[in-house]
This record gives sequence, C-alpha cells and structure tokens, in this order.
Amino acid sequence: MTATDAPGATAPSISSRAHDVLTSEWTKLRSVRSTVWTLLIAAITAISGSLIMAAAAAGDGKQPLDPVASIYFAWLEYPVLAVGVLGVLTFTSEFSTGQIRTTFTAVPRRRSVLSAKAAVVGATTLVLAETLSFAAFFLSEAILSRHHRGVSLGHPGALRAVIAAGVCLCAVALLGVALGAIIRHTAGAVVALPTLIYLPLVLLSLPAPWGTRIGKFTTLMASYQLVSLHPQADLLSPILSLLVLLAWPAAGLLLAAALISKDT
Amino acid sequence: MAVAAPLILVVAVGFAAFCLFDLVRIPEVRYLPKWVWALIICMTIPLGGIVYLAAGRGRVEQLKPPIADAHSLPRCDRHAVISRRPARSVPSPGAGSIEVERLTKRFGSTTAVDDLTFTVRPGHVTGFLGPNGAGKTTTMRVILGLQAPSSGAARVRGRRYQDIVRPLHAVGTLLDAGAAHPGRSARVHVLSIAQSNGIGRTRVEEVLELTGVASVAHRRVQEFSLGMKQRLGIATALLGDPPMLLFDEPVNGLDPEGIRWVRQLFKSLAAEGRTVFVSSHLMSEMALTADHLIIIGRGRLLADTATEAFVEANAHKDVFVRSPQAGELRQELLRAGAGVVADGDDTLSVTGMDAPVIAEAAAAHQIPIHELTPRYASLEEAYLDLTRTSVEYRAGNAGDQADEAGR
Repeated sequence: MTATDAPGATAPSISSRAHDVLTSEWTKLRSVRSTVWTLLIAAITAISGSLIMAAAAAGDGKQPLDPVASIYFAWLEYPVLAVGVLGVLTFTSEFSTGQIRTTFTAVPRRRSVLSAKAAVVGATTLVLAETLSFAAFFLSEAILSRHHRGVSLGHPGALRAVIAAGVCLCAVALLGVALGAIIRHTAGAVVALPTLIYLPLVLLSLPAPWGTRIGKFTTLMASYQLVSLHPQADLLSPILSLLVLLAWPAAGLLLAAALISKDT
Repeated sequence: MAVAAPLILVVAVGFAAFCLFDLVRIPEVRYLPKWVWALIICMTIPLGGIVYLAAGRGRVEQLKPPIADAHSLPRCDRHAVISRRPARSVPSPGAGSIEVERLTKRFGSTTAVDDLTFTVRPGHVTGFLGPNGAGKTTTMRVILGLQAPSSGAARVRGRRYQDIVRPLHAVGTLLDAGAAHPGRSARVHVLSIAQSNGIGRTRVEEVLELTGVASVAHRRVQEFSLGMKQRLGIATALLGDPPMLLFDEPVNGLDPEGIRWVRQLFKSLAAEGRTVFVSSHLMSEMALTADHLIIIGRGRLLADTATEAFVEANAHKDVFVRSPQAGELRQELLRAGAGVVADGDDTLSVTGMDAPVIAEAAAAHQIPIHELTPRYASLEEAYLDLTRTSVEYRAGNAGDQADEAGR
C-alpha cells in the first residue's frame, strides 16, 4: 500500500487530528437542542431535588445516620437519566438520521469518533455535574444549618462525597455514550440505560449474604458508597466503589469500540 | 442485533426476577422451595432467546453480512488482493481513480453486489446507472468504507478509503441528502464536518455560497426541502476541494435550474481533471451529464462503456412512412434492400434506409407519401432493455448464465 500512497498527501500529527475530531464533536454537541434540554432537566432535578430534600429534612427534626447520602445527595438518581440520555443521543441521533455516514466518511477511524464523543460528553457533564453537586451541597447546607444540622464541607469525607456525586453523573453519561454506540437506536438505548442502572437493584433483595455481595457491584450502590460520610462496611470501600463505578462505562466503551466497525 | 440479544436476555431475566420478588413478598408464598426458583430462572433464559429470535431474526438477515463471509475471510488474503495489484500493473495505478475489484456484498441471503469490477478514471464524469435496488448505493458505501465487502476490494487512489487521513481532502461525497442531523443549522452542520478534517470557516462560507445555500444557512436542516438538502450535501462534498467526488443520486429533488447547475458543476469538476462518479437511476439524466457509463443490474456489471458508444450502439432508428399505396411502396423498398415492417393498412416502419432515400424511391415510382418521420428509439428504452435482461438472467439458472449477464 505504501507504494501507492498519493503524492503530496500531508500527514497531520496525531494531536492535530485529535484536535480536529474533538472540535468537530464539540460543535455537534453544543448545536443541538437535545443537549440543552437534557442538561437543563439535569440541573432542574438536581437543584429542586436538593431543595426539597433539605427542606423536608429540616422540618422533620430527625438526624439520620448519614445526612450527606440521605439528604444532601438524595436527589442524585434523578439527573442520572437526563445525562444518560444526553450520552445516548450523541450516537443514536446520528444513527437514526443518517448523519453517522457523513461522520464516518469524514472520519473513517471510527474509534476516534467514539473516543472524541465520549471525551466531549464526559467533559461537559463532568463540569456541569460538579457545578450542580457543589451548588446543591451549599443550598442544602444553607437550609439545614439554620436548624443547626448542617454538615460543613470541611467535615471528613464531605468534600469527597461532593466531588464523587459529580463523577457519578459523568460515569452514567459515558455509559449512555457506550449504549448509544452499541445499540444504535434511541428507544432501545434509552430503555437499556435505566435497565442497567436500576434493574440490578433487584439483586439487593436476594437472600441475605447475596444481596450485598452482588449488589455492591451495581452503579447505584457504588455511587451510594461514594457519597456517604460513613460508607457501609459490608459494601466496597470508596476507592473500590469508584473503580466499580468507572468500570461500567469503561466496559461499555470497550464493547462499543469492538462493535463500532459494523456496517452502517 | 447481536448486541440486542444479551440485552433482551438481561431485561427478560430481570423482569422475571422482579415479578418473582413481588410474589415472594406476599407472606403466604414467601418461602418458595428453592427448586421453584431454579426452575423459573432457568425458564427465563430460553424465554429471552425466543423473544430475541422473534424480534431480531428478520433484521439480522437484512442487515448483517454472514459472519462466514465478512469476518472469517483471513485478513492476509484481503491484503494480498490489495498488494498484488501494483506489482501486476503500472506503478501507482490509482493515482486519481476508484477501483472496484471483484466486489461482492451479501446481506444474509441477499446478494446486493455480485462480483463487480470496474475502474473510474479522472477527468471524466462517470455515470453509475442501475434500477432501484441494483446495488449502486451499496457499492458506494463499500467504496467509502461504510460497509465491509463480503469479498473483493474497493480502492480509492490506490488504497482503502479507511486508510486515508483527512479523507475530505481526497474524496468528496454526497451519500444521501438526508444524512444530516435535522436539528442543527446548515452552517453548523457543514462546519462540524469541516472541523473534523481541519478545514476552516472561510472555506465553509465559500462552499455555502457556491451551492446557493448561504442565504438560508442559519436555518435548521429539517426545514430544508430535498433539493436544498442536496445542495447542502454537495457543499459538504466540495469542502476539501477534493480531486475525486462521489455523488449518490444528486439530482433527486432538485428543480430544473438546480439540475442544470449540477450538470455544469460536474462537467467543470471533471474538466479540471477530477474524478467525478455520479450514480443515478435516470438514463436520460446520465446521457446528458456523463462521459462514461457503468451500468449495473442486480449487483452485476451490465455495461462499462463510453456514453457515445452506448448511444450509437443502442439508439436504433427507423422511419415511419404513411402512404395510400403502402403495399407497393413496401415492395419497392424491399427491393432496394431496406427492412420494412407493415404497421397497419397504410403505414410502414422502415429500417436501414434514410428518409430522403425513401422519398426519392417513392417519387421515382410515383407513389404519394402522406407522412415521413424519422424515429429514434430513446436511450431510456435501450437502458430498460438492458436492465430488464439482467432481471431475466437472474430468474433463470444463475449458475449457467452468470457469465453472460456479466458481459
């Protein structure tokens, strides 16, 4: 093949090619309304969720064992779906409209497209989710501290919990990207996403030792461990929980990378 | 769909388990024997399989190439095909050309492209003709690396399309007009594609201007008519100023003015020495636009010829004659060596003799003529005949007649 390389063809460096694909995907992400909508829904559910939870907790006067997990971040499961759908749509909207052929014709290295999309969605959701996470924490804190029941950011484990809450949302968005690339249909991927996130909860109801033995590997339990001040002893440690949490999108993206070369 | 299988399984198993837990929670049935659990869980797995088969099987045949053909073909073999070529022919055989070599593409039991071989050369507009479903789009998608060939190879400028870095600078494509996200504005759509190949905003505005989309480029693609989408597609194809262009059915939906514009655009692109490969199912359009024709039917090559040669070979003509003494005239013309068929009582169709000669012959024998009209069979008919034949070949024993159909 080398003998027939077209003369005069420039070979841009890998970093400039990565830059090209990333800017292209960033342009695509910010130019569709679904991005704005899903992120807006994520923001609304997070902020209103944290306000409602904090106000309710402030009213009932009971001090739960772990206020950070059960009050401050009790809203976490609501924006999960919104950011997940954002991830799903980055691929399925292209597959369903035929845009993907334009994309793959312009960038035939499909794995570059996959990683660029994952990077752009991951970065966007991480920035937004961390912002939301800190905002929600301070909002809840403002409400609860008036009843002298707040947990300040300086409390051991609190900062970790706040940062981890953002990482959880980012991980789900990446899982969405992977599912979109694997399933290629919006409806299928949007159904598969909560299936993967919530269905393993059923496992928690398994007879005694098995419930937590299997359950600790689910995204939700891993997230719960990460945002708790006092992680449960029978679940994984926060570090291992973080690895479990990231393993889900990692496995999904690996599978997507293997399957993305299928015909379009 | 292979991916859907485990997913459906997960859903089926999960749903069954979910129902089960609800059941178990009711006190009187709480302590189900363990074997009932085992039985139910074992039942859900084949159940998931059945659901998968029912939901997915039909699509599998449509969309997926059989694994045996696409994947188990040793990789080294495919490379052998690619690397053998330069040794066999002149060095750098495809500097500006598209080469399709023994290309076969199957979808399940359907063969969309069947042992297709042709070369598209620079400096010409090459028309790629065939009826609907002939395999034109599939061939183009394989050329562009969007689909993997079941066997054979397609090369662009001597290599696989997938191996070209920043391919928009080498090959411009319009695959289908709808291949754009409907919610994005036209300008941003083109910009996002440009950015992926390191092309700047100035060039984006240039191609939008050139294709007449600039004035509506701020609008979302879903508001565009088919014709405007075609123009937008042509704009993206021109982005990288490529030496080679592929257009799939570019005139669909264009207004007459647009069709004329596209025709001239193709001709001027070819005149600049570029390779222009245009598919169409309209012979009349290609006869006006293309210098060279590649005609396929049912995935097989039917003709690979210069347009002029095709016209000459296929545009049979005859002369329609109306005369009150048609019988006498027929005798005279037959004597003079023409081919004559009596259409009716007073009409003849004459082949092998031009109208003036017929008129002179009639005058010489004092036979009055009421009408004398030269007639040309349309290219469309020649093309229909050609493609209809391919259908007939396919209906017969394909093994015996494959070679004939291929010619």
